[in-house]
Amino acid sequence: MLASWQYRERNSFVQSFDPRAWLIFIAMFIFSAFLFWDMRYLLFFFLTALFFVLRSGVRWKESKRAWLFIGGFILFFSLLTFLTGRGSSEFFTEEHLIREFTAKFSILGWTPTLRVTAEKTAYAISMLLRVFSIAALTILIPYTLNPALYGITFHGLGMPDKFAFAMDLTMRFVPTFARDFQLTMDAQKARGYELEKVEGGLIAQIRKLAPLVVPVTIQAVAGSEDIIDAMDLRAFGVTKRTWIQQLQYRRRDYVLIGFGVLLMLVSISLAMFGLGQYYVPGFLL
Amino acid sequence: MEQAETSLPTLEIEHLSFRYQRREELAIRDISLTVHPGEIVLIAGASGCGKTTLARCINGLNPRSYRGDLQGSIRICGRDIRELKLVEVSQMVGTVLQDPERQILGTKVINEVAFGLENLALPREEVLERVDQAMARLRISDLRGRDTFLLSGGEKQKVAVAGVLAMRPRLLMLDEPLASLDPASARETLDLVRELADEGMAILMIEHRVEDVLSIRPDRILFMDGGEIKYLGPLAGLAGVVDYHAVKLPVAMTMAMAVKDPPPPRISMLPSGQGEKTTLVEFRAVNFGYGDERNVLKDVNLKINRGDVIAVLGANGAGKTTLVKHAIGLLKPSAGDVLVDGKSTHELSIAQVAAMLGYVFQSPSHMLFAPTVRDELSFGPKNLKHPPHEIARDVAEAIRIVHLEGREEDPPLALSFGQQKRVSIASILSMRSRILVMDEPTAGQDYRNFMSFMNAIVQLPNFESILFITHDIDLAVVYANRVLLVNDGRVVRDGSPYEVLQDLDLLVENRLVPTSLLKENLLHYPRTGTFLRAEHLAHAVMLN
Repeated sequence: MLASWQYRERNSFVQSFDPRAWLIFIAMFIFSAFLFWDMRYLLFFFLTALFFVLRSGVRWKESKRAWLFIGGFILFFSLLTFLTGRGSSEFFTEEHLIREFTAKFSILGWTPTLRVTAEKTAYAISMLLRVFSIAALTILIPYTLNPALYGITFHGLGMPDKFAFAMDLTMRFVPTFARDFQLTMDAQKARGYELEKVEGGLIAQIRKLAPLVVPVTIQAVAGSEDIIDAMDLRAFGVTKRTWIQQLQYRRRDYVLIGFGVLLMLVSISLAMFGLGQYYVPGFLL
Repeated sequence: MEQAETSLPTLEIEHLSFRYQRREELAIRDISLTVHPGEIVLIAGASGCGKTTLARCINGLNPRSYRGDLQGSIRICGRDIRELKLVEVSQMVGTVLQDPERQILGTKVINEVAFGLENLALPREEVLERVDQAMARLRISDLRGRDTFLLSGGEKQKVAVAGVLAMRPRLLMLDEPLASLDPASARETLDLVRELADEGMAILMIEHRVEDVLSIRPDRILFMDGGEIKYLGPLAGLAGVVDYHAVKLPVAMTMAMAVKDPPPPRISMLPSGQGEKTTLVEFRAVNFGYGDERNVLKDVNLKINRGDVIAVLGANGAGKTTLVKHAIGLLKPSAGDVLVDGKSTHELSIAQVAAMLGYVFQSPSHMLFAPTVRDELSFGPKNLKHPPHEIARDVAEAIRIVHLEGREEDPPLALSFGQQKRVSIASILSMRSRILVMDEPTAGQDYRNFMSFMNAIVQLPNFESILFITHDIDLAVVYANRVLLVNDGRVVRDGSPYEVLQDLDLLVENRLVPTSLLKENLLHYPRTGTFLRAEHLAHAVMLN
């Protein structure tokens, strides 16, 4: 059976919008944020995202794991880029050194050196702002979108019935997968399996994940067969269906969509004029 | 529900045979059956007898979703099923699958109940009206806005039935609807089915625990074996045809048949558990809650001793699984302590506990992964760093116990569900732990199979104690020497099977339903001084 995300009625600013308006806005926001590399522009996106997060009513306690997991992921990769200097070199050719750290040892004639440059620092800050803005709104989706309305929401966004219902099932697949994974993990632990002790080379490590991966995969496949039977037995997909839920745009939804459209139009215009691209603030130089 | 407009039979099957694509042999052969409005027909038989195939032919999944060759004819309300689209069949035949978990698609109860009607594109107002009627009919109107995912097993079952009833079928088909329900929820489902039949709906109920279904007074019983009808008629006539080892019959019937056979050998329980009653596991004032919720376990004090065969009984959601997961350290108490062999589970890894205590999960599909049965069974002992020659010996022994000889090189995932369940048990047996813990060991097993492996397990030389969770009172009557009754996170009664189970009011309060075997045992207890299985009871009381 499909599990649900931890949605609940929150009576918050974010959940006062029609789910379609909310999704449309998020899509336009993300599209716009992708157009910029200038940390001043990105700061605007970051603050906007922060505003929505704070007004979502989603408590730290319930979403802690998502923030820490995704936040950790972003920090790790930003740091990696910062340390190695890779990924950012397309933006600059010349670097201004701020400080240089040299290790007091060398390995096979190579002395590890960390060159902190203005360009790399600016890139790292921009990257963090950009990815955090996008991730923040994405993290909010499962917490703020009523699972009972998934289907009608996607249907209302213009998808055909089958597609909309498929999206509904897909959205719920993730928490279901998490639940099955936990059950399998417990069952294998009871057989003395310890994930922490998985060792060996990469291939060996992947092989040793089989006790988790195989049952979870089989469950997913078997589960989807059940779902197909259950849908067939109740006449799914034979005709254009009725949706008992109804969604109604209100003025605030138009305002939100309007804001999204404006954001996108302004962003596209700025980007077309070459504004908002990679920028190194003067004080770093 | 609407009465049938005509006196036409709801279902007419003539000489039906079905062979699945890429299978040589027929899954069912030459089935003929007519069911009239208001009639309840119980379809019984062991796993693999063809019950499910028959059901899939009637609801149209065979051959539409599961391809194959269908011979003979099926007429539903006078119309040939071949000429009907699946959507038309689904409006006449409502199917409730074995496990409501596998049927429920909607996020909220109301979405689930409305699902079929939405698909038929009825006007929204009509959908809502019919949904309200179906929910009122099942007395679940208060569940309307609830998350289906968070319902209890019994509630899920009713929601699944409501989703089917809302489509107003003429024939309602239920495939082992009781398998995942506690006895009281099962009784409620059965009462409802009776009411529906009284209102004119034709009912096909598939269930191998015949006894459990008799309260709905089925008009006829269809007994299947090897894909064929072995008997079709009233209950009384079943005695002459059916093997009482294969199907669970009311105790009087089983005893009448068993007394004519030689008595089965006595079972010597737990040969390693004899002697001194040392404590193996101890719960000390254990409390446990998930996150913010109120406590699921409340002040549990409990000792599992050498020689105990414990049945943990209780309704769905009573806290049985939570209790047992503490014994292996998968859950750690929020307050209090669980000691395994004198050491707190707070200080032990699960792998360390696993060496002492083997835990068989409810569903085999959560654990089977290896390419062969042998590898699957070696996994646990390898993790516990047993020496290879011991592993080889213990694996061979485990395979023998669950009767899977010759299957050593087969992939476990290609086996039938019943065989998979046995592999999952064997994969714990091969770890040679001292205590065996099983969560619903009989779920999804047919009667013959589970009696057979339960017999084998309690006689195993390796275990000093066995504990199993069950809804099935008879399993406690036959196998346990100690019963824990759990309700609302507390152990409400702990004692010998007689001490706990003789209080029938207590059982009813705890959503358990006394069985005919229990009642018969209580009746003869002054003479027998112990609880016996039906065959032994027959020889003990009927011959003298």
